[in-house]
Amino acid sequence: MSFEWVWTDNNLRFLAEAFLINFEIALIAMVLALAVGLPLALMSLSTIAPVRLAAKLWVDVFRNLPLILMILFLALQMPESLKSGWQDNAPGFLPDALRSQFILAGITGLVLYNSAVLAEVFRAGILSLAKGQQEAAAALGMTYGQQMRLVVLPQGLRRMVPATVSQLITLNKDTTLVSIIAIQEVVRSGRILSGTAGNPFSGGGDVQAPILSVMIVIGLMFVAVNLTLSRLSRRLEERGAERTATTPAAPAVAETAPA
Amino acid sequence: MFELFSDNSDQFLSGLWVTTRLVAASFLVAVVLGTLIAALRVAPNKWVNRAGGVYVEIFRDTPLLVLLFIAYPGLRRSGVEIGAWTAGIAALGVYTSAYVAEVLRSGVFAVARGQAEAGLSLGFTQPQVMRRIVLPQAARTVIGPLGSITIAMIKNSAIVGASIVALPDLLKEARIVNSNTFQTEESFLWAAVGYLLLTITVTIIFRSLESRYAVRR
Repeated sequence: MSFEWVWTDNNLRFLAEAFLINFEIALIAMVLALAVGLPLALMSLSTIAPVRLAAKLWVDVFRNLPLILMILFLALQMPESLKSGWQDNAPGFLPDALRSQFILAGITGLVLYNSAVLAEVFRAGILSLAKGQQEAAAALGMTYGQQMRLVVLPQGLRRMVPATVSQLITLNKDTTLVSIIAIQEVVRSGRILSGTAGNPFSGGGDVQAPILSVMIVIGLMFVAVNLTLSRLSRRLEERGAERTATTPAAPAVAETAPA
Repeated sequence: MFELFSDNSDQFLSGLWVTTRLVAASFLVAVVLGTLIAALRVAPNKWVNRAGGVYVEIFRDTPLLVLLFIAYPGLRRSGVEIGAWTAGIAALGVYTSAYVAEVLRSGVFAVARGQAEAGLSLGFTQPQVMRRIVLPQAARTVIGPLGSITIAMIKNSAIVGASIVALPDLLKEARIVNSNTFQTEESFLWAAVGYLLLTITVTIIFRSLESRYAVRR
């Protein structure tokens, strides 16, 4: 196994720049998923049955379908006008990969899936607050909106920070899936580098870049970033536990699942 | 809509069967490997713990797609004659084993310390305490989380099929039906139905296990 390609030409930089694309996609999708997930969580706690059901349906459908199925479907089925519209009108400061006609499908898929996951995280966070908190707020004469805005959400949201950061780790890994719809992020760049993407450009140098070692390097890039994030999440968890009124003695079994 | 299914039922059903076998085999790999790693993680030696921790971090933080490219084209191009099935099962199994190890480890730690101490004070040896007191209780607390891992695995199996050409799983078959019939919505809808069937079945199995064995603490 040869790693000579790593320090020849601009190969490593080629990969690192593509890796940045993954991170950008993850951040964009995360912000949008948070914006969709929070209302969904509030909807799923609503007292109005149809609202609750609609939120539950959204969550159950998008959380239980393979992400790659949604991304492929959206890439095939998104209206042509939307795809070419984005390609032609995307702001010029975006990198090429983010101006691709398929990027909307990729990001929409990631947002649908993650909004469902985050809605559940938010819901659990709100429900894990001691019930007395909201009751006390109600007893003080606050309206439902005030209870949520002033008492429940500030504490609940803080509780959700660690879980949201771990979801960012999952999302980070999931961004590699858009390589399957031909967006040039790090995995696709790796395949181009090793000449396995059906692309005549094979790295631009005389040095062979075997796909095995290219993929190992890409894997290590993800480990480095995600390890930092999971350390951060653990620290936030330790710090947050002391600050909020949570129900005591929740069982300590990890609820993490690969996604 | 139903016509599309009845016309192509052979393909959809064989895809569903491939996905089922892929998930079942990977589940076995994940549980066996995960248990071994969890054993390292709860061992009384610091360095053994660390080794288990490194395994978990590496495989939990690497995208499954990257593992698949390492396992199949990567190894094959380096001259290892690995089959599509072996590579797919190994990648999905190893990826999931890191999550299984974490769940088992936290399950062991969720058993109250007094339980192990009581066992020791009754004259049980350390391995006996593990086998007879801690593990039976830990097994009960991890049923739920193992269920979510299995469901995630069903969804992740679609990534295996999407990246390894020689593995015709449910999503791959649906894509073939789509390219033959140009009925994209229906083809993907039936694939989605297949995946939901699998996840619902697994949910029911784990829920009934949980209601039978789980302990409230």
